Amino acid sequence: MDMSLLPTLVGMTLPEIDPDEFVKTSETILLVLMAFFIMLGMGASTTPRDFFSALKRPAGLIIGWVTQFGIMPLLAFLMVYVLLVPMTDLPQAVIWSVAVSALLMGSIPGGTTSNIFTYFSKGNLALSVMMTTNSTIWAVVMTPLALYLYGELLLAGWIMGIDTRTVQDLQIPLANIMVTIGLMLVPVFLAMTIRRYNANIGAVLELVGGILGILFIVYLIVTWVPRNWGILAAMSWQVYFITICLGLFGISIAYNIAKMIRLHPKNARTVGLETGIQNGPLAITIVLVSYRDSAYLAHVLIVPALYTLFIVFVSLFVTLYFRRANLAEEQKIPSLL
Amino acid sequence: MRERPFIKHYPPGVPAEIAQLQHRTIPDLLRAATEGNENNIAFTQCNWNGMNGSLRFGQVDHLSDAFAVYLREVVGLEPGDRVAVQLPNCLSYPVVVFGVLKAGCVLVNTNPLYTPTEMAHQFSDSGARAVVIIDMFADRLTEVLPKTDIQTVITARVGEFFPPIVAGIIRIVQRYWDRSLPPITVPHTRLGTALEEGRHRLETKEKDQRLAQYIEGVDHDSVAALQYTGGTTGVSKGATLSHGNLLSNTEQMLAMAGKHIRPGKEVILTALPLYHIFAFTVSLLGFYYTGSRNILIPAPRPPSNLKRAFENYRVTWLPGVNTLFNALLNERWFVEHPPRHLFASVAGGMALHESVAKRWEEVTGSPVVEGYGLSESSPVLSFNPLGGMVKPGSIGIPVPSTEMRCVDEDDNPVDIDEPGEIVARGPQIMLGYWQRPEETEQTLTGGWLHTGDIGKMDEDGYFHIVDRKKDMILVSGFNVYPNEVEEVIAEHPGVKEAAVIGVPDPASGEIVQAYVVRSNPDLTKEEVISHCRKSLARYKIPKHVKWRDELPKSLIGKILRKDLRSEILGEEASSGSAAPKSSAAP
Repeated sequence: MDMSLLPTLVGMTLPEIDPDEFVKTSETILLVLMAFFIMLGMGASTTPRDFFSALKRPAGLIIGWVTQFGIMPLLAFLMVYVLLVPMTDLPQAVIWSVAVSALLMGSIPGGTTSNIFTYFSKGNLALSVMMTTNSTIWAVVMTPLALYLYGELLLAGWIMGIDTRTVQDLQIPLANIMVTIGLMLVPVFLAMTIRRYNANIGAVLELVGGILGILFIVYLIVTWVPRNWGILAAMSWQVYFITICLGLFGISIAYNIAKMIRLHPKNARTVGLETGIQNGPLAITIVLVSYRDSAYLAHVLIVPALYTLFIVFVSLFVTLYFRRANLAEEQKIPSLL
Repeated sequence: MRERPFIKHYPPGVPAEIAQLQHRTIPDLLRAATEGNENNIAFTQCNWNGMNGSLRFGQVDHLSDAFAVYLREVVGLEPGDRVAVQLPNCLSYPVVVFGVLKAGCVLVNTNPLYTPTEMAHQFSDSGARAVVIIDMFADRLTEVLPKTDIQTVITARVGEFFPPIVAGIIRIVQRYWDRSLPPITVPHTRLGTALEEGRHRLETKEKDQRLAQYIEGVDHDSVAALQYTGGTTGVSKGATLSHGNLLSNTEQMLAMAGKHIRPGKEVILTALPLYHIFAFTVSLLGFYYTGSRNILIPAPRPPSNLKRAFENYRVTWLPGVNTLFNALLNERWFVEHPPRHLFASVAGGMALHESVAKRWEEVTGSPVVEGYGLSESSPVLSFNPLGGMVKPGSIGIPVPSTEMRCVDEDDNPVDIDEPGEIVARGPQIMLGYWQRPEETEQTLTGGWLHTGDIGKMDEDGYFHIVDRKKDMILVSGFNVYPNEVEEVIAEHPGVKEAAVIGVPDPASGEIVQAYVVRSNPDLTKEEVISHCRKSLARYKIPKHVKWRDELPKSLIGKILRKDLRSEILGEEASSGSAAPKSSAAP
């Protein structure tokens, strides 16, 4: 298959993508710095006890693991199977590329974004950080495993010949994973220590972190809309559906499961957000590294790029809902005397 | 003196009588507490988000000196002039209050949540000449001041005495995010400016001499504070508390606590409002005197606002009310990590439910002891002794130098376990109600404070509250206590809560009427009545049961039976049958 077949999928030619330019180094540095200070602020809202609490009652962590690696990849697979596979009028290789990236998006762990939204949703931040850590470490094994399983399953049902570049070729960048975890845990522990010695600095860090968190969300929207403009204008509804609903369904399903097993509402909200919000930037990095020289780079990038944009809107919407729920749960007591 | 059977239950080391007071005035006590303690932290204000500010004993002393100078020399107040203080729990509170007392003036504690009408009543009744108010609520003064004699307004900020950057952030958040800083239209001085001026004047002349001069004429019998209270009759009036009253009650409370309060080592969390006499004497005076660190919570609602304070400070003592203990027990963060250093909690203000007390002790692993008192008694009259026999459901035994008994209508003591009005005598009983000789006479008949509470003393000398006297119902000559009937009704699984009052009845004088909020909508009135038959004597069983969606409650969540009664009287008045003034009416 060659690039000339592309317009049939998207109605217009996808923009050329330069892997070195798609995410600029300066931008990466800016985002890393922001993430560091945001996590510093979020960390200042916790104490070591919160982490011991999450360990003492591992139900949240366990159910989070199950929804993360059980439900999300399955959800991605089902949506691909129902929505993408029947699109027989399109070049199989193109669909396959999009399908692979959708599976990848479903199998990837959560990231810092989920911590930020958990914080704003009045969830359990310590649990969120531990879930992110847990799922990110497990991702080294679970992400390739899920990709392999669902990839094979998808391949088995595929009719026509396709590009032989299969899922196994995806490389999980270990260094990136280490950085993700370090970028989260280091500021969190630093902030807890600072707060211990000066509660005022802790409180100010938290406030600044919160404001930065809002800026971060605004930044994502402002920069990712134009970046995706070409794709946004041309994409078929199936791709929209997958990139929006993977997060939305993931959050809703995990949240409801957590509620069903009677997790505390704060923890249920955390499990929901942690499950549904995937580490978009990590997925993009994986694609950029693995498909660097492929003719299908642009296609494989579609889902991670769109997901990264839409998840911000989905999470904002969910956060507003969760905040209202939290307000309703808050104890109302009369004046003390 | 009548026999005091409770003395034998004082734990070892607790004296039957407190010694001769060591200090002539509260300022003397404050100075004694500061000595040698100058560099220890006295107060830490902890906001909901953990932002905090602290004052050391030495700083509190200097700042309150400066405020005293300002009041006397700049404002021109005279000894005995009333100063209204309308502040939440914040660092300004001790500075201002101690300053007022050091100036020889009289403190008028005022609830910051008061409406303009309530403020106007309290300020004009007390004849206050100055008010110190939190700036968030100072806009109400526009309406209030013309109805009072107040000439001086001093405003304080929530972040007063905080580190400058933190104070600035709080200010910005208040102004642009919370929008909680209304424009103040009356002429006013900032507390910071007042203190600066006072300090400036102190530097120039003989400091100690002048401060001593302010309280020259002040002694045990001088008025220190007017503590407004609804009391046993409707209108709010000022319980006049002298320096001797407050000093005595501080000593009495500390004597009862004995060795359980370790001087200089305790950290007390004050979520209860300091303008209320309970927190004022127990938390502010008592724990300042013992050199403790006091964590002040400006806004304890919702209870999650206390999370940061409990995380950041090693709280050892917690004064509270049933509402607070119960609320904390419903917070997961509290139950999962109860304060590890908590030694004891003290409960007052309202009845402590036995179930709450029991769970509190299970969760925190430390005792909660219930006490009893009134604004009119500075307030502590009785307490369950720590380290002695604690009786759940009891308000404990009278504190040292206090006589307490239950009497009948003619002021004769009733037998053990018989209900009667609780009356008390001791050095903590107020001088009287401010400028209300008639009410004073009624309340302090025969030198005993008539509390208006019906109680029982058991054979150990422990007291138990039965009900408020004014709520008692008289059915054909029999006394019915609404609490007892309410408790029985509330035991029914289909009932959420209940209130019981007496309504006038031509045949039996009064009859029992119940107002019930159902949790089970299928519950019938007959079921309620037949449920009562199982455990109540015939005359106590409600004649009428009325359904309600909710019951009228006060700001602090107490059910207002008087509102239900006035509804009835209103109904009868409007239906034409001139209702006889029920003895139960407020």
